[in-house]
Amino acid sequence: MSEPKEELYQKMSDAIVDMDEDLVVELSEQAVNEGIDAFEAIDQGLTKGMERAGQLFEEEEYFVPELLMCADAMNVGIDILKPHIKVEAGKEKKKAVIGVIEGDTHDIGKNLVKLMMETGGFDLIDLGRDIPAAEFVARAKTEKAELICISTLMTTTMDAIADVITILKEQGIREQFKVLVGGGPISSSFASKIGADGYARNAAEAARLAIELMR
Amino acid sequence: MSDVFSPRERLIRVLNKEKVERPPVICPGGMMNAAIVDVMKATGHELPAAHHDDKLMSELAYDVNELTGFENFGIPFCMTVEAEVLGSEINYGTLECEPKIQKEVFPNAASVVFKAPREFDRNNRVNAILNTIHTLSAKYPDTPTIGSLTGPISTAASIVDPMTFLKQLRKDKENSHKLMDYVTDCLIHFAGRMVESGAHVISIADPTATGEILGPKAFEEYAVRYLNQLVDAIHGMGVPAIIHICGKMEAVKPLVAQFHSNALSVDAFVSLRDIMNQFPQVTSMGNLSTVLLEFGEPEKVSNNAEVLLRNQINILAPACGLSTSTPIQNIQAFTQTVKASKPL
Repeated sequence: MSEPKEELYQKMSDAIVDMDEDLVVELSEQAVNEGIDAFEAIDQGLTKGMERAGQLFEEEEYFVPELLMCADAMNVGIDILKPHIKVEAGKEKKKAVIGVIEGDTHDIGKNLVKLMMETGGFDLIDLGRDIPAAEFVARAKTEKAELICISTLMTTTMDAIADVITILKEQGIREQFKVLVGGGPISSSFASKIGADGYARNAAEAARLAIELMR
Repeated sequence: MSDVFSPRERLIRVLNKEKVERPPVICPGGMMNAAIVDVMKATGHELPAAHHDDKLMSELAYDVNELTGFENFGIPFCMTVEAEVLGSEINYGTLECEPKIQKEVFPNAASVVFKAPREFDRNNRVNAILNTIHTLSAKYPDTPTIGSLTGPISTAASIVDPMTFLKQLRKDKENSHKLMDYVTDCLIHFAGRMVESGAHVISIADPTATGEILGPKAFEEYAVRYLNQLVDAIHGMGVPAIIHICGKMEAVKPLVAQFHSNALSVDAFVSLRDIMNQFPQVTSMGNLSTVLLEFGEPEKVSNNAEVLLRNQINILAPACGLSTSTPIQNIQAFTQTVKASKPL
């Protein structure tokens, strides 16, 4: 008799937090062999672990290298489990475009936000780095996204973030999107000054805020 | 009031922990480039052309010193030349936008193809930088010429995909240390050429090496170790060195005492007063908010400069990279406030 699946999920979650890729592989294969629902194993095991890693990151127990290793462990698990998902679970994913504004090629922060938002159930369209304001708007429209996430690490580029909102207003489509901003030099007062819907200090907070904004 | 010391004497004295009548106010170049749009528009010596041409680079560096009031020359105007020599693709930017790494050339630490440090000597932009340092330091001996370097972690993360690089600091320590050793050797060579050309001070900015990104363990194992390796080598050349660390420092604060540099420059949200109280041996540099410099009024800038003066910060400087759209009036308000300050 195999262990209760809840215990397996807990072990998967722990293995993510421990950055133990090999153990994640073993446990994911065990889940497949035992015929456990793959979607549930991802949702209750792997994603839970990644959420805990995000929590540790917020508490400054984990830093960027650790968070990225947890994500690697999660991804090997997802690769094993994903082909076994029976039906695409009914939950419709909210779409967001994300990128680093023009002038800045630092994308570590953006990649972390993407990671945590995907963990939080969003479908992320990654525009990349050094992206002009107009392209954020154009892609958000064509992708039919509901959320625009803009990041920068440089004071130099803060003006361009305000441009995204100006363009949305000019086109009369400001209300169609929530705009979330973040990055080193940005503060919540800057975010409210330019009329953004939200500001997050770190990746875990961004994911939480995105979920709130979509309610 | 006439100045007791020349700007060069004043800066060198502070870096040697000797008394001065007032702190210097500087902007060391590199990540802290002060070639703002207002300066270039006023003189017609413009970027990105000046990144490649030593005559233009010298003229622009002189303009910056003249018009902003910063008491130094800061060369180069970007933090991409190291990665360019080591193989990455560079986008030279525009008048308003600084050069940036277009693509890191290697996918991971293990795949890095090591070049000989003397490759630096063959690069045109390196030669423009060295010629500029030579020209300015010979022509204006009373003004400190600062050679700016991109720090070891930031340079490594500019030639290897940064996300992979950061993971490998934990996962593949052997190759990570090999990479860091290589990059540091190259930077030592470049610093040596700057010093031979006449640089009076070397300033190192390592924006990827923050406590927030790395955490205390990796910060100590990689940032402190290789920055010190570089600083020790610069000291061996008989020249003082400044280190700038970006970001919040709570996670790594006890480690700042370990830096061998002659001064430590920090970001706007770090209290230099706290650092000085906790570590009296640290010579402090900074940290006027670059957000204030860009968006504030001259009067507010001046008030904040007064606060830094009252807190007896040893060297006054912007807290981080200046926006190229910073109004010149704000920078002048900053530098004039410092220059008008009463002797300590």
